[in-house]
Amino acid sequence: MNIFRGPSTLVLTINGERRKVVVEPHETLLDLLRSPQVGLTGAKPGCENGDCGACTILLNQKPAKSCMMFAVDAEGQDLVTVEGLVDAPVQRAFLDHFAFQCGYCTSGFLMAAQALLLTIPHPDPHQITEWLRSNICRCTSYEEILQAVREASER
Amino acid sequence: MIPGPLEYYRPTRWDEARQVFQQLIQAGRTPRYALGGTELITMARTSQLSFSDVIDLKRIPEVMTQDQDGDWITWGAGLPLGRIAALDRWPVLTATVDRVADHTSREHITLGGNGFSLLPYKEAMLPFMLVDHAEATLATGAGLVTGRLPDYFDGTWRVASEDFLVSLRVRESEVRNMRFRSFKLTRLDWIDYPLVTIVAVRHPTGEIRAAFAGWGSAPLVSAEVNRVLSDTSRSPGARAAAAIGAMPVKPLDDVHGSAAYRAFVTEYTLARMIGELEASS
Amino acid sequence: MTSVGVNVPRKEAPNKVTGRARYTRDLCQPGTLYGLLVPAHVAHARIRAVETSAAKGLDGVKAVITGDDVSFLTGDVIEDHPPLARGKVRYWGEPIALVVARDAATAQRAANLVRLHCDPLPVVNSVAEALSEHAPLVHDEVGSYTIATPPAAPRRHSNIADEANVTKGDCDQALRESDVVVTVHVSLPQIDHAAMEPRVATAEILADGRVLVVSSSQAPFEVQKLLAQYFHLHPGQIEVTAPLVGGAFGGKATVQLEILAYLASRAVGGHVVTLANSREVDMATSPVGMGLEADVVLGAASDGRLKAARLTFYLDIGAYADSAPRIARAIAAQCTGPYRVDHLHADVYAVYTNHTYTTAFRGFGHMPMTFAIERAMDELARKLGQDPLDLRQLNALAPGDLSPTKARLTSSNLGNLPETIQRLKPLIGWTGGAPYAVAPHRVRVQGVAAFWKTSSSPPNATSGAIVTMNADGSVNLSIGAVEFGAGTKTAAAQILAEALRIPVSRVFIRDEVSTATAPEHWKTVASLSTYMVGRAVLDAAQDVVRQLKSLAAVVLRCAPEDLDYGNETVFVRDDPTIQLKYADLALGYQYPEGDSIGGQIIGRGRFMIRHLNLLDQETGHGRPGPAWTVGVQAVEVEYDTETHQYQILKAATVLDAGRVINPAMAHGQVRGGMAMGLGIASREQIRYGPQGEFLSNQFRTYKVLRMGEQPDTYLVEFVTNPQVDAPFGARPLGEHGVLAIGAALANALSRASGLALNALPLTPEFIWQQRRTMA
Ligand SMILES: Cc1cc2nc3c(=O)[nH]c(=O)nc-3n(C[C@H](O)[C@H](O)[C@H](O)COP(=O)(O)OP(=O)(O)OC[C@H]3O[C@@H](n4cnc5c(N)ncnc54)[C@H](O)[C@@H]3O)c2cc1C
Ligand code: FES
Ligand code: FES
Repeated sequence: MNIFRGPSTLVLTINGERRKVVVEPHETLLDLLRSPQVGLTGAKPGCENGDCGACTILLNQKPAKSCMMFAVDAEGQDLVTVEGLVDAPVQRAFLDHFAFQCGYCTSGFLMAAQALLLTIPHPDPHQITEWLRSNICRCTSYEEILQAVREASER
Repeated sequence: MIPGPLEYYRPTRWDEARQVFQQLIQAGRTPRYALGGTELITMARTSQLSFSDVIDLKRIPEVMTQDQDGDWITWGAGLPLGRIAALDRWPVLTATVDRVADHTSREHITLGGNGFSLLPYKEAMLPFMLVDHAEATLATGAGLVTGRLPDYFDGTWRVASEDFLVSLRVRESEVRNMRFRSFKLTRLDWIDYPLVTIVAVRHPTGEIRAAFAGWGSAPLVSAEVNRVLSDTSRSPGARAAAAIGAMPVKPLDDVHGSAAYRAFVTEYTLARMIGELEASS
Repeated sequence: MTSVGVNVPRKEAPNKVTGRARYTRDLCQPGTLYGLLVPAHVAHARIRAVETSAAKGLDGVKAVITGDDVSFLTGDVIEDHPPLARGKVRYWGEPIALVVARDAATAQRAANLVRLHCDPLPVVNSVAEALSEHAPLVHDEVGSYTIATPPAAPRRHSNIADEANVTKGDCDQALRESDVVVTVHVSLPQIDHAAMEPRVATAEILADGRVLVVSSSQAPFEVQKLLAQYFHLHPGQIEVTAPLVGGAFGGKATVQLEILAYLASRAVGGHVVTLANSREVDMATSPVGMGLEADVVLGAASDGRLKAARLTFYLDIGAYADSAPRIARAIAAQCTGPYRVDHLHADVYAVYTNHTYTTAFRGFGHMPMTFAIERAMDELARKLGQDPLDLRQLNALAPGDLSPTKARLTSSNLGNLPETIQRLKPLIGWTGGAPYAVAPHRVRVQGVAAFWKTSSSPPNATSGAIVTMNADGSVNLSIGAVEFGAGTKTAAAQILAEALRIPVSRVFIRDEVSTATAPEHWKTVASLSTYMVGRAVLDAAQDVVRQLKSLAAVVLRCAPEDLDYGNETVFVRDDPTIQLKYADLALGYQYPEGDSIGGQIIGRGRFMIRHLNLLDQETGHGRPGPAWTVGVQAVEVEYDTETHQYQILKAATVLDAGRVINPAMAHGQVRGGMAMGLGIASREQIRYGPQGEFLSNQFRTYKVLRMGEQPDTYLVEFVTNPQVDAPFGARPLGEHGVLAIGAALANALSRASGLALNALPLTPEFIWQQRRTMA
């Protein structure tokens, strides 16, 4: 049985790099990622309540809301944040389709879309909608995002 | 951000988990079992719930089973709803869990966590409330005990606080080819708590059975409502209206919708469901 | 033109798709302390004590401040607002204490230990309650408050914070003489801006007295001004930085957290303290958008020509006035919508309630105002049996007419509404607005509504631009407008590139604004930035060109007038081979012998809004903004007459853009506004409990549009009648997509259901309830 009391050390993989981090058991994974020791601020706090998706990352290739997980729960797991995307087609497609305005939701949408395309390389519009309505964008009309993901899936 | 402080235990055996729980209680602490953790995190953050320790059950093998063993289909309490939908072993369960929360959240929210949620909905439990042979396995002082679900759960759980749900199962022979409809009615949005979620099946016995979440402060089935719904001498509309009258409790009245409106949507939805369940296909 | 009118990607776009774009919360420095607001869980009460001893005793807590520690009042028009509740609690969520601690978790633990001892007071839970005869008073002494920025007219011993009136002609007489009169009562709830980035501010007081503030603000210069005023500092001491902002919609144009962050830092010896709203606090504690109750009476001749309007607007401004007096005047000034009404009487009241206080919301009051007018226009069309678009076209204001406040309208300052209406018809496939059946219980119908809006900016709003040239002839552009998604920076870069005849890629612009280095820009609001910043940029560009030419003239031994420029060169007009590169002149010109002249090319530009004035308090006459953008919007819905569920099939907007600087961004702005407006009209609503409890403080209860709920098709087109004094003729369009689309939806559903749906949001339950009340 693992017990975490006070600051605890754990090992996990972030963007392909195995890292040792120190966390408090009450910290969420979002807290950890954004903390100075990891320093990945791409995942955003939008609600910290599981509602908006701005904090979405990949957890073992699946989409996960990092505000909805205890950091210690990520021990030994494989995480990818938006900073870990390198020339992903979905990034290019978001640029080409002007799929953001303020950009605050963008990391989360990109990661949800990336997770979708890893699981279903050629999703139909219904599947795109079903995966991406986990996220909220207050600026765009969603149309741009939908089109960007559709195009990324066709590349 | 959760205020804490917290201690976090991750047992790998069910008896270890119970033991820690009891020790912590004896030490005057307030432990909580956790699966997906979503409700614990959201409620701790807003100080609606406070607890000193989290006992994470997800590394206990029995809690994560996804077996089909002979006639029994078993789902570990720790399976995320997204995984349950992907396994797709029981279409009515797939359809129902697919409407809880949103796609990403369903990778977190588990069957057991939803079942033991402090919210009134517990939508994932509805299909299990409709079959004769649903069973629950619990980790108890007497070992892992499996019994008929209604003996433990009728919308509200009657299990000791140190006991926890390990898995749920149904008989494939009972649920195979069972016709069903699963509808979630919300105020307006696709992603929202239910005004009412109705899961209805046409049981092999010929009976129409319906389970409701969101109507009252706990999910419910009612023998009387099922009798009314199954009365083929009346039109679906008449049966739906009668079912509203036969509901054992009054509908909720809250920010999602008024009591009268809940009754209205429930009635037209039931009428549609009966029609579709009885349509020759 | 090569840079204006083309789809230039946002300057900061690559950072936004890689997680590298930095918002305020991403900039936290080591050693930062955490502030946390403790919200009241009572809506109206007299405070006996705020008990903080337990919180203060917690390990890691650095300070706990309450209203007892802060004696000044804030408010940009009426100074009625204590930064922390003092004496009274006036809304559920009002901060009663501010905790500063080592880390966020400790701050939360401490906050949970703060106790409010109070005597509850009767709650003013609606505008109607606020105006009732023996209403409890939200403010005991409205008459005693300082008016920081006149005009404002609080009414003594009442819940009326302010009123604005406009009168023209003889309204009563004209109503009597009208052939048709319609009366509509409209009721709209408060709504939340719900920017995806919750508000956040960080403050630090350095040993040398300088104050560093970093804030998710639309108005860093306003923050600087007010901090200087409230804390008796020199403006120059205060440096406010606004990094990229994660959505704003007017909600980040007011100053709240910055004052509290300063107080927090001061309480801990000037240490850097960050104060980040949780979503719950952002919704309930920081300001929201106002609610509206309105009575609209329109009188018309039998041919549909409007004769008279009597309009009464009651704004649910919540507990504090904030921008409400300005918004009340904006509503008064545009109260008729884009229609000519010669006989008019309008009263706008800003009403205090025990609801969360309110501030600007995308459209600055024009969205609720438009809803009221456009519902009445549609009822008028129904009563007259007239095509609703024809009715609007018939009554459209035209050049030569006067606005409600008697400002003269011209073809430059007024867009062309009739042209937008004509363009809309083929765009949406206009059916005339009559519902038609498509299946049993299912009807389709179209609804329309029109809008106009001007800036309602203060008459002394100013903007500036500084251009410095790099050694290679590229330029750095510094402006004071904040980037929150509207593409202001990119548009400014496009304008500069066009004016200097260089590619946009040769213009460099920083994401953040700092009041210490950027020229003053009033506020990034009112869709005015392209106009104001653009004019300042053009001015700066002229300055750059003048400097380039005068230096080149010396080197090339000719008169500056002999020179032209392009392709990053200055050349002699009649022999372009005689030329100098921008790079040769950028940092001064060096002769082959080594001696040099000139110095860095530094262009400066500025712009001040002109010819505006404050509305006369008696007559309401005056000129509220430089120009009015107009447009028309439509939706097509399919409605189930039994369940009252509906789908939005199409949503369309045609607006007079004057000239489009960046088509892709302009379409995105308008479509995004339409999505927001449809969300507001269909589902958004702040709900209060019977005791004024704020019930919608998360996205679980405050529902916004998600993917899949948007219309199947967005249709956006622009007509282009230039505003001659605007950069390249471009009219403002940032807010406008939101303005009338909700009214169009209500008009469509009213036609489909045969009901008069005059309240929002248009949930199926609301329609069902209206149907039941009718039956
Ligand atoms: C974004 C979002 C949207 C949501 N929308 C919906 C919705 O539409 N419909 C709906 O029904 N719910 C919804 N919920 C709430 C959801 O029901 C709960 O958050 C979720 O069910 C909890 O599951 P979990 O696995 O995360 O449980 P946890 O948070 O781990 O636990 C929940 C509770 O169950 C107890 N518990 C956990 N495991 C066991 C066990 N094995 N035996 C006994 N007790 C146990 C815990 O102590 C805790 O009290 C939503 C939640 C989120 C985050
Ligand atoms: S911040 Fe995690 S879902 Fe909103
Ligand atoms: S781009 Fe601003 S929230 Fe999506």
